[in-house]
Amino acid sequence: MKFRWLIFLAAIFCAVETGGAAATNDFFAQGLALDRAGQFPEAAAAFENSIKQKTSSGALVDLGIAEWQRGHAGAAILAWEQARWIDPFDPRARSNLKFARQAAELDEPQLRWFEAASTWLPPAAWLWIAGASLSLAAGALVLPGIFRRKKSGWQQTLAALGFGFFLFSVAANLGVVGRAQIGFVLKKNAPLRLTPTRAGEVISTLNAGEPARKLRTRGNYFFIRTESESGWIEQNQLGLVNE
Amino acid sequence: MRQFFFKLFLPLLLAPINLGAQAPPQIPPNVAAQIVMLPQPQVDPSQFETVSATAEFDPPVVQPGEKTIYRVAVNATQNSIAWPDEIFAPPELRPGPAARGQLTQPDGTPFHPLTEFYYEFTAATAGRFTISNFVISASGSSVMVPEASVDVAADAATEPARKLLLEFSERNLFFGQPFRVRVILPTAQGNRLEALRDVQFNGGGFLTDRFVTRQSVEVVNLDGQLKPAFIYETVATPLAAGSLMISVQAFTAGNQSGGPPKYVLLVSDPLKINVRPLPTETELPGYTGAIGKFFADPPQLSTNRLRVGEPAHLKIIFHGEGDLTRFVPPMLPRAHDWQIIADNPPATGYTLIPLTDEARETPAIPFCYFDPAAGKYFDLTIPPLPVTVVGEGLPEQLPTDDDESESGAPLKLSGLAPTPGKTVASLKPSQLCDWLVILQFVPAMGFFALWRWDCRRRFLEAHPEIVRRRQARRALRGEKKKLQQAVKAGDAAGFVLHAANALKISCAPHLPAHPQAMVCADVLAQLDHAEQNGHAGETVRKIFAAADAQFASAKTETADLLVLKPAVKALLAKMEEKL
Repeated sequence: MKFRWLIFLAAIFCAVETGGAAATNDFFAQGLALDRAGQFPEAAAAFENSIKQKTSSGALVDLGIAEWQRGHAGAAILAWEQARWIDPFDPRARSNLKFARQAAELDEPQLRWFEAASTWLPPAAWLWIAGASLSLAAGALVLPGIFRRKKSGWQQTLAALGFGFFLFSVAANLGVVGRAQIGFVLKKNAPLRLTPTRAGEVISTLNAGEPARKLRTRGNYFFIRTESESGWIEQNQLGLVNE
Repeated sequence: MRQFFFKLFLPLLLAPINLGAQAPPQIPPNVAAQIVMLPQPQVDPSQFETVSATAEFDPPVVQPGEKTIYRVAVNATQNSIAWPDEIFAPPELRPGPAARGQLTQPDGTPFHPLTEFYYEFTAATAGRFTISNFVISASGSSVMVPEASVDVAADAATEPARKLLLEFSERNLFFGQPFRVRVILPTAQGNRLEALRDVQFNGGGFLTDRFVTRQSVEVVNLDGQLKPAFIYETVATPLAAGSLMISVQAFTAGNQSGGPPKYVLLVSDPLKINVRPLPTETELPGYTGAIGKFFADPPQLSTNRLRVGEPAHLKIIFHGEGDLTRFVPPMLPRAHDWQIIADNPPATGYTLIPLTDEARETPAIPFCYFDPAAGKYFDLTIPPLPVTVVGEGLPEQLPTDDDESESGAPLKLSGLAPTPGKTVASLKPSQLCDWLVILQFVPAMGFFALWRWDCRRRFLEAHPEIVRRRQARRALRGEKKKLQQAVKAGDAAGFVLHAANALKISCAPHLPAHPQAMVCADVLAQLDHAEQNGHAGETVRKIFAAADAQFASAKTETADLLVLKPAVKALLAKMEEKL
């Protein structure tokens, strides 16, 4: 009976997380063929369709490669960052990001310690870890008393570990929320304006692929902060990692 | 024959040289600007002191019903002359159209203005008619206009007054449709050929093109006679719909044999044109005002493979029937993927710059023209041409001198991922999904509830009297209901039984003991001393006595015990308060 419950919980977890490998869809295969044939715009379109069908890290990696080959550095970096968002352990996304940033002379986004910690696991995992660790700690404290068992050392240790994991995962979850506001400039020489209007004074222009943190939204503009300055940018000029 | 040659053919042969206007007349804009910038002739200050006027009828002798022109020439500028609104002519002279014009006489370097006033009269009867002299103000001084007379005689040998002839290539036009206008000056008496200057079209609602003029000498058919004539040709464009009256006036060039040049203002009869508005319902996209018949060669693109940001030239050549100098090329379309720059007029090409490698073809450039003969618009849209646009090109491999181990970055782009890999339903983090966050805390909240339940359980275990009193209250509520039902049914025995049970239940937790083990004394012990000896104690005794009597062999009458109901109710309320 207990095993049935465990299977049920595991099924829910898989349904939300869907962490398993997906089957190759038609668009993905089409994109691979087009990219190998040198038809990069068509390949990028096919990979985008594949992602619309099912968002996968592999399709995002390949989309980034196709965009890079088309000359769209911003879109490529965004795609690889999204691939890492799904699968932080994807070696292609990681190496391509390093390569692209070196080639385009771009910096990585500046992350706070809890944001950097949140990159160790997929975002959804941190949430489940938080829930599980809290439940574990609470269970370790409560259940022995209910079953009239004598409290033992290992139960206390388990509860302490559970609370420790919970506190850390809370920080990581905050990191995930913070990283969700990070975006990348999509087009070359994107104007950063003083005011959220088309006629707003241009403070500076941003390079494609440059990271920025979205602070707020007004109309069709994001107020962003880059490494050196803040200003308004058109929404279609900045791609957020979680969109 | 020799005289004929010198009088007719020699002027014709020399006309191009004399007129100097046979070449295609279009003046480039830069030349036109230079002409405008030329220093103007100096004004002769002495002219203001010697302003004079002449007046005459032309011709001076006419037959009745013929037209004669009353001309007044003043050697002053038109603006400086205060000319009367009305000329007092004899009533026998019926007035016709009037005109006035001004020219500058090329009489040496100083500027010599000449203004001529033109009045057309028709003499109705024979006789001599005179317009008397009158005074006008010109250039600040009074000038006498001398009298002039015309003789009207039935047997007079006359030559009709010289007039300009006006011809239009079209009389029924559409708004904006250019048409050719010919001003014809036939040879004067003695086959003297004169050019025209200061040609001016009168009337409203049309525009003449000063840069598309043509002057020539041609032999024209006038009333069945072939005559050489000076032709001034230009293009006019109607700018208003409806009936328009157009006339022309011009000065003769003053060529005459012997004597000083004489400039004569000539006027044509007005001609009417009908202008219809263009149909707007059937207008096609890209109409720029082209009216006529036009054709376009197939567009030629300089290259069909280009990089993002690299310009390509789209060459388009239009042909048309008639003049193309005023041809307005297609307007630039709005294309998301292209930057389009039109060539400088009169060229009709475009420079196209792809902004993205997603461009697969050049943008279609909508264009149409209106054919007045067919009365409808024809599509002449420049079709899109297929192109291949490649991206700007980013390096896929870094130079090898960059040491990979030092920089930590790979030297080249990775290969394609062969499989989709890990998938997610959405890139939006679960942390931003409220219900999922709440779901994580449900087990913990369950444990908390379990802990609270366990605490309560332990407390009740430590305090069993709470449980007994709670059970007693619950049982007491049940007995009270049964008691009430017995009262309603008039069941005195039931009333006594349930009243006794209720009393036992209400006092049992205090001892503590089982309710069935309670006797009258136990219940009385829960009452204070006054109550024991008072009405409450009496009621308890009666109830218990009646209850005990039910077990006796002789049945006793208990019907009157129902009157104890209020006392029992009050007693039970008091007992319940203690629970």
